[in-house]
Amino acid sequence: MAEVRYYDIRCVRGEVTLVDIDNGVVESAGTSFFDKAVIRVLGSKGWGILTRDHVDIDSKRETNSLVEAAARLAAVTEDRLDLADAPRGELPVPPLEEDPRDVDLEEKTRLLAGIEGAARVLGVANTRARYTEGIDAVRFLDSNGNEYSYEAVRSGFSVLAIASRNGVMQMGSERDHIITGFNLRGKQDLGRKAGEVAVSLLDAKLAKGGTRRAVLDPELAGVFTHEAVGHASEGDLVREGASVLGGKIGERIGCEGLVIVDDPTLHEFGFIPVDAEGVAVQRTEIIRDGILSSYLHNRETLAAVGNGVPGHARAEHGAPPIVRMSNTFIENGDAAYAEILSECRDGILLIGSRGGQVDPGRGVFQFNAEYGYLIEGGETTDMVRDVSLSGEILSTLHNITLLGDDRKMSPGYCGKGGQSVPVSDGAPHLLLENATIGGRGE
Amino acid sequence: MKGEDLIERVLREGERRADEVEVFYARGESVSTEIKKGIIGTAEEAEAWSMAIRTVKDGRIGFSSTGDPDRWKECLDAALASGRIATPQQWGGFPKPANLTSTASSSDGDLIVAVEDAAGMVGDLLSGAAEHPVEVVGGGANLARSYLMVANTSGVLYGMDRTVAAVSLEAIREQSTGYEFDASPFRADIDARSVGEQAASLAARSLGGRDIETGRYDVVLSPIAAASILGQVLVPAISGRNVKAGRSFLADKIGEQIFDERLSVYDDPFAPGLGSTAWDAEGVPTRRLVFVQQGVLQRFAYDLKTGYRYGEGSTGSAVRSGGEGPGIGMHNLFVDGPRMKDPGDERAVWIHDVVGAHTANPFSGDFSVEISNPFWVEEGDLVDPIRTAMFSGNVFEMLREIGGLGKDTRRVGRLTIPSIRLNNQQIIGK
Repeated sequence: MAEVRYYDIRCVRGEVTLVDIDNGVVESAGTSFFDKAVIRVLGSKGWGILTRDHVDIDSKRETNSLVEAAARLAAVTEDRLDLADAPRGELPVPPLEEDPRDVDLEEKTRLLAGIEGAARVLGVANTRARYTEGIDAVRFLDSNGNEYSYEAVRSGFSVLAIASRNGVMQMGSERDHIITGFNLRGKQDLGRKAGEVAVSLLDAKLAKGGTRRAVLDPELAGVFTHEAVGHASEGDLVREGASVLGGKIGERIGCEGLVIVDDPTLHEFGFIPVDAEGVAVQRTEIIRDGILSSYLHNRETLAAVGNGVPGHARAEHGAPPIVRMSNTFIENGDAAYAEILSECRDGILLIGSRGGQVDPGRGVFQFNAEYGYLIEGGETTDMVRDVSLSGEILSTLHNITLLGDDRKMSPGYCGKGGQSVPVSDGAPHLLLENATIGGRGE
Repeated sequence: MKGEDLIERVLREGERRADEVEVFYARGESVSTEIKKGIIGTAEEAEAWSMAIRTVKDGRIGFSSTGDPDRWKECLDAALASGRIATPQQWGGFPKPANLTSTASSSDGDLIVAVEDAAGMVGDLLSGAAEHPVEVVGGGANLARSYLMVANTSGVLYGMDRTVAAVSLEAIREQSTGYEFDASPFRADIDARSVGEQAASLAARSLGGRDIETGRYDVVLSPIAAASILGQVLVPAISGRNVKAGRSFLADKIGEQIFDERLSVYDDPFAPGLGSTAWDAEGVPTRRLVFVQQGVLQRFAYDLKTGYRYGEGSTGSAVRSGGEGPGIGMHNLFVDGPRMKDPGDERAVWIHDVVGAHTANPFSGDFSVEISNPFWVEEGDLVDPIRTAMFSGNVFEMLREIGGLGKDTRRVGRLTIPSIRLNNQQIIGK
């Protein structure tokens, strides 16, 4: 048999419940089932990895034959990997305030319809809402005798409103996802907000592209943190030479007072009780007082790169663990929002997020706001739409000149290597000098 | 019991409890090898099995899926429970068996799902990349084979093989990155060495780019950049569901000249491609669909559900992804038209790819994205690299008058598209 230095098996058996309501019509509402296992073997050089449906983790015979098959795969690898020792331990999963399994599908559909209906304010042509609930039962064991199991329950929704007038179409959208229970009650105000934003955007101006001062709201500043800093600090990208933050530990890359953290222990949407390699999770300060201080690691990238904290391995069910963010944020500063606006004087306020992307090797990122307002003389004036922001990782963080005192976290999903995992990110309001704003206004 | 026996059992059991039942079944195997530190770091093999059940009773459609054959009863119960909640709608039944005469091959009999072959493709990628002074920071090769089946209580039982061979490579030189990829059902289509060479060439040649001033420029979108931006906006706008729901900018424009007369857009499920098929994800025979003919909007795409609801009829456009139910999509979408000599002689900004295409507004068509590997192009040659910039515009407006289409058509996923020259576009420098 080929050499086996280490193996682990991670099984996720679960249910996904989706409800989709489109313009008042229940398009679909129901539950689907999955049962995925990933078997990894570290051979004399690198990983051999198998993915299977429906593995009996308690059957020695079945797991042994899978480990043998994975070892044969590992034999074709050439790059020698080692695993660092890392602390073990599992945090308790927060209790559920209301277990979504105790609420029947009819009630979920009725509550979602209430949120969707609330989005149908005057001027809105189309509304759509989607409820997503995931129940994952996770089991893990490895060749060192470590074992854990836990259950993860996620519940949340998104709502979209489209307003239309004389051929102009604009959208407003809101979402909320939690890990602490059922999340559809008392949320109509988010539906209404989506509708109102869509309608007011019909009269918004196109933003003008160029370099200027920008104020980012906590949601967009969170995406900024995730795209501009989070990805480039991931140990696998650093190991491969694909991050501009490689070799920059101890260097000043941001303004004084800037603290950027990834913390999987927080009971936000990116919470994990233990990482996907069985390593204990802990708060990791990526940037402390403007200085790059830690990379995010799994066991193999910690061994190869060092200068960081393990416990950041995560995996979608049926996929191998890779280094990921969890709950990523900028710590509060001490500026009040009013002070940030008045300090900005003339610029642009950017609100909400339509997502973003980064090329960590080139050090360039882009993300899009849902909408914004011009700031003139320290006051917000006209509403603007379709505005995005881009920047360079190594210079942008120096351009943060004020940190607010009002941090807020927002839930979402992050894609990397074809895998999507739940995350949250956040920040206080930020004032950014010399921001490159993309927009097609003249 | 995993294959046809199980399908038969689900149909018979379901039939007793609903008017109609449909089963979509997929099983597949794949191998992949991933590059780390410029050599093979990981080898993966996956086997997958899934079954999706739809039930229809009194116009209420129920759905569930499972990856565990032993849970088929639970899955059927869940589909029926889901149907009790769905809003009832006009429904004319699942399709009956058709005489499928057309051939649509998306399977390569010579493709072997073996890790040694995937390792060999990585070797070719790396030897291509070695032609330029760069570091390889990622990429790999993937070989997959799957078998798909759709069956319903009207007697449809279709099955097909699918294969995929795919490679990608990511290279870096200082802070200049290059990424290239290719995927095809046919192993022989994939020239891994050339993909590796092109990725490395992009990284090497993009080094030392100069700044560009904010202003209006003629632009050439490479097939990759064009596919990223158009895929995000155009594909949802021709989905019948979005059209009927008031979410498509094109909704009331059939018969209108919406794009430049040099642009046609069609779905050809019989052309060789990743989505080639003679029947769609609901067992409806597929056909060639022309959405835009010489700039004039002709039609939209429908699946059974949307087609019945609005009296339009299915266009055979149902697709599935993951464990989700069928939705409206494209099989092999082509953006096509008469080609010009290179994409224009006059100096322009050539854009290889964009960062953040998914943030485009699919309803209004507005976008502003960061551009990757931009160059000044002169007489068809990439002359000087540009450091970095943003590109802003509106998809529907910019396609009304294009500068022309290049001769460099390529397949980008399920979209086949040439480079597109666009005059007088907005570039935002730094």
